[in-house]
Amino acid sequence: MPLRLLKYALSKNHPAPRFFKEHLVPKKSYDVVIIGGGGHGLAAAYYLAKDHGITNVAVLEKGYIGGGNTGRNTTIVRSNYLTPEGVNFYDASVKIYEGLSEELDLNLFYSTRGHFTLAHTESAMRTMRWRAEVNKHVGVESRVVGPDEIAKACPQLDLSCSGHAPILGALYHAPGSVARHDGVAWGYARGADGYGAEIFQSTEVLGIDVKNGKVCGVRTNKGYIETKQVLSAVAGFTPRITEMVELDTPIVIHPLQACVTEPMKPWLDTILVSGSLHVYVSQSSRGELVMGSSLDPYEVHSTRSTLDFVEGLTSHMLDMFPFLSNVKVVRQWAGMADMTPDFAPIMGKTPIEGFYLDAGWGTWGFKATPISGKTMAYTIANDRAPDLIHSFRLSRFDEYELTGEKGAASVGH
Amino acid sequence: MKLLTCPMNGSRPLSEFVFGGEYRESPNPDTCTDKEWAAYVHNRSGAPGNKKEWWYHAPSGTWFIAERNTLSDKVARTYLLTDANAQQAKPAQEYGQ
Amino acid sequence: MTLRLTTQIGEWINRNKHIHFTFEGETYSAFEGDTISSALWAAGQKVLGRSFKYHRPRGVLSFANHDVNVLMTDGMDTNIRADVVAVKDGMVLTAVNTKGGVKHDKNRVIDAISPLLPVGFYYKAFHTPRRLFPFWENIIRKSAGLGVVNVNYPRILKRKLHAHCDVLVIGAGAAGLSAAYHAAKAGLQVTLVDENRQAGGSLTFDLGGDAKPQQVLDDLLRKVTTQPNITLMTGSYAAGYYPDHLIPIVSDTGITKIRAKTVIVASGAFEQPPVFRYNDLPGVMLGSAAQRLIYRYGVKPFNKGVVVTANDYGYRVAIDLLDADTEVIAVVDMRKGSNASPDLITLAKRGVKIYAGYCVYEALATSDKSAVRGVVVCPYDDQKNVALTHDSVTLACDGIAMSAGWAAAAALLYQAGTAMKFSYEVQQFVPNTLPMGMFAAGKVNGIFELSQRLHDGVRAASEALRYLGLEAAEVAAAKHMGSTPSHPYPMVPHYKAKNFVDFDEDIQIKDFVNAAKEGFDNIELMKRFTTVGMGPSQGKHSNMNAIRILAKIRDLPVEKVGSTTSRPFFHPTPIGHLAGRSMHAHRLTPLHDWHQQHGAVFTDIGAWKRAAYYPAPGQHKDEAIQAEAMAVRTSAGMIDSSSFGKIELHGPDAAEFLERFFIGVYANQKVGSCRHVMLLDEAGVIIDDGVASRLADDLFYLSIGTTNAAAVYREMQRYQQMWQLNLGLVNVTGAFGAVTVAGPAAREILSTLTDLDLTYEAFPISRVRTSVVAGVPARVIRVAFVSELSYELHVPMLQVPHVWQALLAAGEKHGIRPFGSDTQRLLRLEMGHMMPGVDTDGLTNPLEIGVDTHKYMQKAYFIGQRSLAILAKRPLRKQLVAFMLAEHFQGELPLECNLVVDGRDILGRVTSIAYSQTINRIIGFAYVTPAQTAIGSVFNIRTDSGTLVEATVVTTPFFKSTSQQATGA
Repeated sequence: MPLRLLKYALSKNHPAPRFFKEHLVPKKSYDVVIIGGGGHGLAAAYYLAKDHGITNVAVLEKGYIGGGNTGRNTTIVRSNYLTPEGVNFYDASVKIYEGLSEELDLNLFYSTRGHFTLAHTESAMRTMRWRAEVNKHVGVESRVVGPDEIAKACPQLDLSCSGHAPILGALYHAPGSVARHDGVAWGYARGADGYGAEIFQSTEVLGIDVKNGKVCGVRTNKGYIETKQVLSAVAGFTPRITEMVELDTPIVIHPLQACVTEPMKPWLDTILVSGSLHVYVSQSSRGELVMGSSLDPYEVHSTRSTLDFVEGLTSHMLDMFPFLSNVKVVRQWAGMADMTPDFAPIMGKTPIEGFYLDAGWGTWGFKATPISGKTMAYTIANDRAPDLIHSFRLSRFDEYELTGEKGAASVGH
Repeated sequence: MKLLTCPMNGSRPLSEFVFGGEYRESPNPDTCTDKEWAAYVHNRSGAPGNKKEWWYHAPSGTWFIAERNTLSDKVARTYLLTDANAQQAKPAQEYGQ
Repeated sequence: MTLRLTTQIGEWINRNKHIHFTFEGETYSAFEGDTISSALWAAGQKVLGRSFKYHRPRGVLSFANHDVNVLMTDGMDTNIRADVVAVKDGMVLTAVNTKGGVKHDKNRVIDAISPLLPVGFYYKAFHTPRRLFPFWENIIRKSAGLGVVNVNYPRILKRKLHAHCDVLVIGAGAAGLSAAYHAAKAGLQVTLVDENRQAGGSLTFDLGGDAKPQQVLDDLLRKVTTQPNITLMTGSYAAGYYPDHLIPIVSDTGITKIRAKTVIVASGAFEQPPVFRYNDLPGVMLGSAAQRLIYRYGVKPFNKGVVVTANDYGYRVAIDLLDADTEVIAVVDMRKGSNASPDLITLAKRGVKIYAGYCVYEALATSDKSAVRGVVVCPYDDQKNVALTHDSVTLACDGIAMSAGWAAAAALLYQAGTAMKFSYEVQQFVPNTLPMGMFAAGKVNGIFELSQRLHDGVRAASEALRYLGLEAAEVAAAKHMGSTPSHPYPMVPHYKAKNFVDFDEDIQIKDFVNAAKEGFDNIELMKRFTTVGMGPSQGKHSNMNAIRILAKIRDLPVEKVGSTTSRPFFHPTPIGHLAGRSMHAHRLTPLHDWHQQHGAVFTDIGAWKRAAYYPAPGQHKDEAIQAEAMAVRTSAGMIDSSSFGKIELHGPDAAEFLERFFIGVYANQKVGSCRHVMLLDEAGVIIDDGVASRLADDLFYLSIGTTNAAAVYREMQRYQQMWQLNLGLVNVTGAFGAVTVAGPAAREILSTLTDLDLTYEAFPISRVRTSVVAGVPARVIRVAFVSELSYELHVPMLQVPHVWQALLAAGEKHGIRPFGSDTQRLLRLEMGHMMPGVDTDGLTNPLEIGVDTHKYMQKAYFIGQRSLAILAKRPLRKQLVAFMLAEHFQGELPLECNLVVDGRDILGRVTSIAYSQTINRIIGFAYVTPAQTAIGSVFNIRTDSGTLVEATVVTTPFFKSTSQQATGA
């Protein structure tokens, strides 16, 4: 038992202070206003202070911190992407994640479990090789493995998928991890707060004032804030914010759903993903199976659940694990995914001076939390995006320079 | 599962339909600038609200227009693109919130 | 020592049927109809399980499907809920999540060190130093979880039914029965569901010494069961609410998905535990649980007990206990002043002491903490929320029944979007604004008194009728009568804590206080930090108290705190139920059986199963493919192409449509000729390609790839709606099958089956003929996809096997053999044809695969044209080239998707690669940079193991047939 827990046992009063101070009314002005108190916004606030010494920062959250997609995803962290720019970016995120519990002094349960992307068809195998080759090339540990190695890591898996979709192999990505998603938001909140950033919950942005192409202020339900720099880090709410500054983007909102089972003793040690069966699953440290599937097929700005989703997902789960018939699903939920046409984020500067975008996170936002915070902080501090996110600039769509991340998803027969 | 009304077949479960994206008028390709065209191709009006959308009823092969609120997911009316009368008529029911 | 009572009126057990089972090694007897918990409780077994976190002994809490500390395994299944699952003869049960059994669980030491594990402790420790985290994580992971899942459990798929009704009534208690009957009487089709094995709700157990509830129940049940338009489903719970009134009803046998026109939610309320030290001991239970034990199972909750209450309901519980031969030594009423309950006098007469304005300060445990030995009661200052312990009284007892209040079972109402408000009159959230077509009645609506609940059912039925446009009298709203059913703050602090709010997760009052101190002082953050309501019972007995605690901490009214979002499922629902029968739809060609009989290996292409190749016994895939390919190159081969997409365009504007839809030129296409089609999207990305054959001025026959056929046809329909051209589109994919015969002998073989003039002059490449083949009308298309000499025979689907057999017979002397889709890929590669989806990806445009777009750009319009014009101005980033490896290449063979590299730079990738036996070279396609595309350029491919292999850019086709093949000379 670690000694630090004794501290709690021996003290009469609960010794832990607030994670972050409660601010009710914003000041008249801030150097930077961050819209969105999720992992990304809070990480940006943290790195603005830590890396760039910018602490006169307000983080505005319309609900509670970490209550959006930060708290709704299935917590998978990985960097086995297809394009070198994608792999490099997410690898940088993984590297920060690996030391983040220590850095934030909060146990994020960052748990490296290994990640298998199962291939059920020859064409999927081709894509796995493509990703593996690109990953290897930039120094990320991914390789194509055969059914034997999958069976060794997960002996419970029915490799024939009940005869419907035999598994031919997989992309194995050793650094694949899961983490406590809420903790990431809380840790960054505490860190940012410690440096002096002010976090406002229940604070909704009603408008953003732009004069002569420059940001000059933010209207909120708690009053007006003068500022020259605004970061929008609001994932599923991005179109509502960009509409305020009349900025067109390709982002379309689709719900992404997930569900959990009741807890059981750990048996699934790895993270499994099957593109063909539209399943991803891991077992949490509480013992629940955390499961997700593909995006809902049409645009809705809502976190409602559907029966179709859970029926389809469980059907495929049973193909993979027939013995789960009587294991029960406890809860399903949804987040709003801000999808882009090329399955890559939109980050950096915009045509409006002082308005920065951290968006287009679709289904891959959680894993990018640390690096997006860091790179967006750099962008704001220098009014220039670092090379690492150059490929993700908004102007790529005007320039027909879409990232290749969509390539993998579209390769079929 | 939600229900959707196909103008040709009536109220059917959503699983019979394919979402075809927002209905958008393209700029004139002969006169617009490259930037305008790129914006048309890539950008979407992503903010929630009342949208005209393409939907396809797969069993009958019917494309039609649905006027839907993307926040409430309520459909005000559906009609064939060629039904000019329907387009000009007032919505039969208001969008819910 | 048995606690079994004599026969109770209306009990759910069958005393004529004896059952035997074992629990943790000891044998018990039970009656048919007992649940596992009721049988064990009747036998005097009080420790039924251990808690999740601290491994504290736990017994009966609710008997309402949220006793989640009492989960069992029977060796086959796990996490069995003992409070509601019927015990079966021969069951061998143990509690889950113990180390060494429920009685002597070695993990009980965790309870002793619980101060070391404050709320959120796992966030605070174990992460430094980093290298030790996996060690701690392993320990934490193992202690998490409940039951051990049986990996040999059979795959059981339950049936799914679909049903429709005018009114779905959820909950068959007083309000639900009343609503169902009145709606049915007016002619509506009603489905009435209840999760319990029998209808009746609290009428089956909440008697309070009164005969009326049973009379009401008998009357309602008689009416409901004789009403033909009511379907009563018991043992069935409404699992969740989904848009447009879709509600899955879950029972043991499967799921019924009900689409209702209206929904009446009469789901009642969950009794909530008051919170005091050791309120979790076995023997401390909710009043309603005690009543259920008595009246459903004929089991005495305890021998000598105390009732702690904060409402009038507790007095009825006390009377029911007395009627069940249980000694009730005291009723401890947390309310001050005189209580109006008429039952007060009855109780006093029967010798029960009433402590008004008192609270239970703590329950006293036996030495092994497995049972109650007494209770400490003292005056309660509800203003200051303190127990005045100087006046405490200790009472010896072996059980405590708790009745402090209720929480609406409003999950479905929340999920449907009901705006709830907090009613101070009943101290409960009640519906404020209901969604269209949804109604609430009874306790969930804040109505508790029996006659008012019946009335509320009538009112809800009448509203449903009027919503459906039927005539019904307007019925006045039911009123709350009597005193408040719920205490505003039934939580008694204790300096030594162990006063549990959430039994699933062992969360105590101090955990909330401490969470708030750390800043988690909003209901959602508090939920996530403390995990309240996140256990298997999903907060059924804890969310309301958590809200009250937070309201107190923040000094806010309860309604300002709000509640967490309700999500499906109402009760955890099995994966096998949700999955239903597995649906894997495939499309098969008419030759599927033939392929199977001839040893084909199949591959999934889109929805279709296609023969990939036909290995001889023991033959390796590569050998089979090479042999099939050689047959095509040297003599003849044939392939079943029936899965191709086939679309007809009829009408004067057919050519115009193709001009706009595809990249090519069709206006001047001659009747009888074929042209390539390529579809782009608006961004200029290649979607698919195929062949357009002009059969008449106003008739084109389009064949396109298998995978995208449905999507391409769909897009054609969409554009036709916009363009309104004078033509009709017909998808004939299922009407026509196709067989391709290819190779130097193809002409000779085909000539024996048709009168068609097959000479080169009469039927050159890229021509189509309508004729008769093997007696069957056929469209014969000559395209050079797999071989310069090849004929696609498109015939009615039904005739495909006949034509196939005829070709086999005619080609026998030429050694004709079938080839599969994998072989086809090699053949087309040899011919130098790229394949969309293989040699292109989701962003590839025609410029990148070397399409000369100039002539097309002259057209008025085609989809993607404007984007192509923009792309043409931009530098190309990559380009597809054909390559060969060195002659007699011996090393590690590069594979598809190996990269083309130059030092640290990725220049491209291999998209197709294969050994061609015909030309004895390794050939392929790869993306390279535009600088490397000149014929003869050399680039490096890196293999899986990292070696670099040189490849040289060459021209296509790789394979050139001799002139006789092409010309037939």
